[in-house]
Amino acid sequence: MENPLHHFELHPLVHLSLMGFDISINEGVVAMWVALAVVFGLFMLVVKNGVRLIPGKLQSVLEMALEFVRDMVEEFIGKEEAPKYFPFIMTLFLFILACNLIGMIPGSYTITSQLVVTGTFAGFIFVMTLFIGFSKHGLKFLSILVPPGVPKVMIPVMIPIEFISMLARPISLAVRLFANMTAGHTILFVLFSLSMSASLMVGWMPFGFTVIINGLELAIAFIQAYIFTILTCVYIGDVIHLH
Amino acid sequence: MSESNNFRQGMGIAFRMGTEMTVATLLGGGMGYGVDYFFGTKPWGIVAGVVFGGAAGMLNVYRAAQAMTEENEKADKDQNNSSSKDQDGKS
Repeated sequence: MENPLHHFELHPLVHLSLMGFDISINEGVVAMWVALAVVFGLFMLVVKNGVRLIPGKLQSVLEMALEFVRDMVEEFIGKEEAPKYFPFIMTLFLFILACNLIGMIPGSYTITSQLVVTGTFAGFIFVMTLFIGFSKHGLKFLSILVPPGVPKVMIPVMIPIEFISMLARPISLAVRLFANMTAGHTILFVLFSLSMSASLMVGWMPFGFTVIINGLELAIAFIQAYIFTILTCVYIGDVIHLH
Repeated sequence: MSESNNFRQGMGIAFRMGTEMTVATLLGGGMGYGVDYFFGTKPWGIVAGVVFGGAAGMLNVYRAAQAMTEENEKADKDQNNSSSKDQDGKS
């Protein structure tokens, strides 16, 4: 049997290099471009057909998505600050969702199964929260390391704990998305190759499971995009409202 | 609608808690190992690191759980209020 992780490998399609850096175009880059094109295309289709007061099918779906994310941003970041962060979080949600769903098409590439990609998202969000925190509160932002109502004796113990818990946030954000996508697709691959290698008498069983797990993966694609964005909102909200 | 909402929230909680704890503990352990490596304090850095990391993970999970309980209580209260209102309206 083939290595179950084989289909996560990236192979350059077009070799390019810029000032010594390897910027070759591989399957992952193409998958990201397709995701961007799908999101952009769906919205442009609505705009081109004219945004109507009584929305059509596509427009109502997109409006629902927009309202869903807007409610989320308003709940965790606050009504006054929400418009500033809404475009970023909406983009993040749609892009991750599109990447996850594109990965569900057989033969395509799941770019969110690369730790580099999810890590870049999470690292960017972490740096952004630090930047927002320091620009909003100045050096008072460091008080995020000391939770309120802690006795003075406990402060030397609490600072390293809070420091680790803060650093763990972006890592868990990145690892969660990456691990869920990788694990799901590996399971699909193993089950499907089982059904391919067995005779029809037995092979229908793993095939049935493949179909069921496929449905679960579809749900996970939505849930993981949702969790990633909701936690981004929570983290940004935390640094805006210090305790 | 509310059933699928519950399912989504439940899955969200399940995925959040698991990684939150693991990652914090591993990160604490890793930082402890780093301290050992650079300052030659083997094995005390990793011991303290795992303890601090575990504490940080529990703190994260505790906070997440607390926020969720508050949310649930709020939702329950809203539901009770609306249902009692409905009853008032009917009577």
